[in-house]
Amino acid sequence: MALVIQEVTKRYQNFVAVDNLSFTIEKGEIFGLIGQNGAGKTTTFRMILDLQETTAGTISWNGESIHAIDRDLLGYLPEERGIFPTMTVEDQLYFFGELRGRKKKELKEDVNYWIERFELEEKRKAKAETLSKGNQQKVQLIASFIHKPEFLILDEPFSGLDPVNKDLLKEAILFLKENGTTILFSSHQMENVEELCDHLCLLKRGVSLFSGSLLDLKKQYGKTKLTVRTDMAIEELTALPGVKDVTIGKEQYTLTLEDESYAKGIFDIVSKGDYIEKFSLDYLSLDEIFKDKVGGGNV
Amino acid sequence: MSKFWILVKQLYKQKIKAKSFIFSILLYLVVISCVMFWSDIKEALFSEEPLKVAVLNDTDADFKALFTSSADVEFSFPKENESKVEKKVKDGDLDAAIFIQDKAGSLVAEIATFNPLKFNDQQSLSSSIQYAGKLYEVQQLNLTAEQADKILQSETMITTKNLNKEAAGGKSEDEKSAGIGASMIVGFIIYGFVMSFLSMITTDVASEKGSRVLEVLLASIKPVTHFLAKLTGTFLLAVTQIVILFAVQSLLFILVDGGEKWDTVIEVINSLSAGYVAYVLAFLILTILLFLIMGALLGSLVSKVEESGQAMMPAMMVGVGGFYVLLSGMYSPDTILVKVCSYIPFTSGMVMPLRIGATDIAASEPMISLGILIVTVVLLFMLSLSFYKRSVLTYSTGGIIQKIKTVLKVTT
Repeated sequence: MALVIQEVTKRYQNFVAVDNLSFTIEKGEIFGLIGQNGAGKTTTFRMILDLQETTAGTISWNGESIHAIDRDLLGYLPEERGIFPTMTVEDQLYFFGELRGRKKKELKEDVNYWIERFELEEKRKAKAETLSKGNQQKVQLIASFIHKPEFLILDEPFSGLDPVNKDLLKEAILFLKENGTTILFSSHQMENVEELCDHLCLLKRGVSLFSGSLLDLKKQYGKTKLTVRTDMAIEELTALPGVKDVTIGKEQYTLTLEDESYAKGIFDIVSKGDYIEKFSLDYLSLDEIFKDKVGGGNV
Repeated sequence: MSKFWILVKQLYKQKIKAKSFIFSILLYLVVISCVMFWSDIKEALFSEEPLKVAVLNDTDADFKALFTSSADVEFSFPKENESKVEKKVKDGDLDAAIFIQDKAGSLVAEIATFNPLKFNDQQSLSSSIQYAGKLYEVQQLNLTAEQADKILQSETMITTKNLNKEAAGGKSEDEKSAGIGASMIVGFIIYGFVMSFLSMITTDVASEKGSRVLEVLLASIKPVTHFLAKLTGTFLLAVTQIVILFAVQSLLFILVDGGEKWDTVIEVINSLSAGYVAYVLAFLILTILLFLIMGALLGSLVSKVEESGQAMMPAMMVGVGGFYVLLSGMYSPDTILVKVCSYIPFTSGMVMPLRIGATDIAASEPMISLGILIVTVVLLFMLSLSFYKRSVLTYSTGGIIQKIKTVLKVTT
């Protein structure tokens, strides 16, 4: 186990930002920390980075206290974007690389590689403040891992990126993972978490609601989302056994079941033994689970 | 290279290329050169015609020797009558006419002008006339030339003798006014440097905090390292500026006018005591440090760079206050206000050199003041260090006091 967070609490004078939080991240995996604004994600990151003290609990990396490790093992992309406005893209990357213990000569190859990969070649000598927001974010992202950290923390890396750049970023994250980097990231865009994460932790006002593998979380809810295309009226569907709720979508209904065992019975009724265009039983999406967990039941 | 030096190098490289840094050096050079070369500049730009003054003397005495023409005033002694001379004044051929007459054994004079005279010209004419009046009176006494001369040239010799052995040897009036002059320059330099580098460090810390770069930096370095790197980098910039300034200015003095101004500078430096120079340097360095520490601390409090002006206001006010006390001390360097401010750490750097140079003070006084300054720098440094760790990642709104409260609230 690479990162172990054990019963960590962060308490301020009159409120608790993180309450008795525990989770572990395996080496080389991508771990998602999800929660609404103010859930305690950034505070957790800051405690891991030793930017803030924990009130109670321990955080360790490879069995060593986080206070004692070499800080250059870590890479960090904060939620609020921060780069030196008047420094050029290239200088910026060299500066952060050198600051984190790498020699300029060693950095050259990586700087060139990432500038090209993120399509920043033309902006190499441009001052950071003249770049578009998306490009600034790409520069900062490269800066956060240019020193090849073992452990990379990305706070909301996807916010503000267009779909093309989002894909670039996803590919980069997977590339880093393949090269052995352990990655912890937060997001409130669940589709990104679902695509990338092996494990995750759900936070609500500093309290962990779930911590473990994505599949385990989904299994907790079971396959209760049923999408059907049928001529039946909504009233008829609602009256079916085991149906908790029905919503109308585009040429289809989405049924929420009490549990997946009702599905077969419903199939028989809806299809009437005939051909049916659509009948699909799925796990809830992470988005729906998140809303259920955090919102307290309103899926 | 350690992280500390990487940060120092980055700050130094970035700021030394900044337009504001180069511009401020140029500005200083222009100001100092203007002061030093004022007479040449005045001659080149404002070559005024000398004031034309006619003197009509109705008495038997001869005053021609008293009214000698100079670059500023050109005297003439026409034989024409009063109305003709007055007409010339009205026509603008003359700027003024002085009519001197005898009235019951004393001299009376009338200055006729068409356009009012400038204050300075008026004063210099008046004093010439006054002197003529005295000479006239003396001549009426039928004294010998030597006797008359003795009366007019008499000047009482004044020396000072301080009976307090602990006090520094009394300074003569000349020494004191030289001290005031030198201290004004020193005070101005300290004030200028303190203000510009205070603003530089506050803005720098504030912009890093505002642009959130600080959060990235602090993930890999300790706040202490960051704080020290900011202080060192800015301090090195200040030293660089001082060195460039002195080098270029000296070169200018040596090259222009065949080194005439350079000789003046050497003369002034020679007249200053080694102790004075040592104190000035110590006060200069410590005062800059003190304000840099304050600047970094204040910069760490703001949430965005736009607020840095508001944040450095308290330090600015103190600096400006010190400078005004220094100005007030120009005419009377012995007031209670000057004395008190020469001990207050934030103003002592500007005020104490004045007292050392221009008044007779005991040797222990500047030492005590310097001691207070050193202790304050150390204390403020320690306090800032512990506070900086907590304030650099706390973002809040409101005034400075409110920000300090928030920092204390969310970090304890």
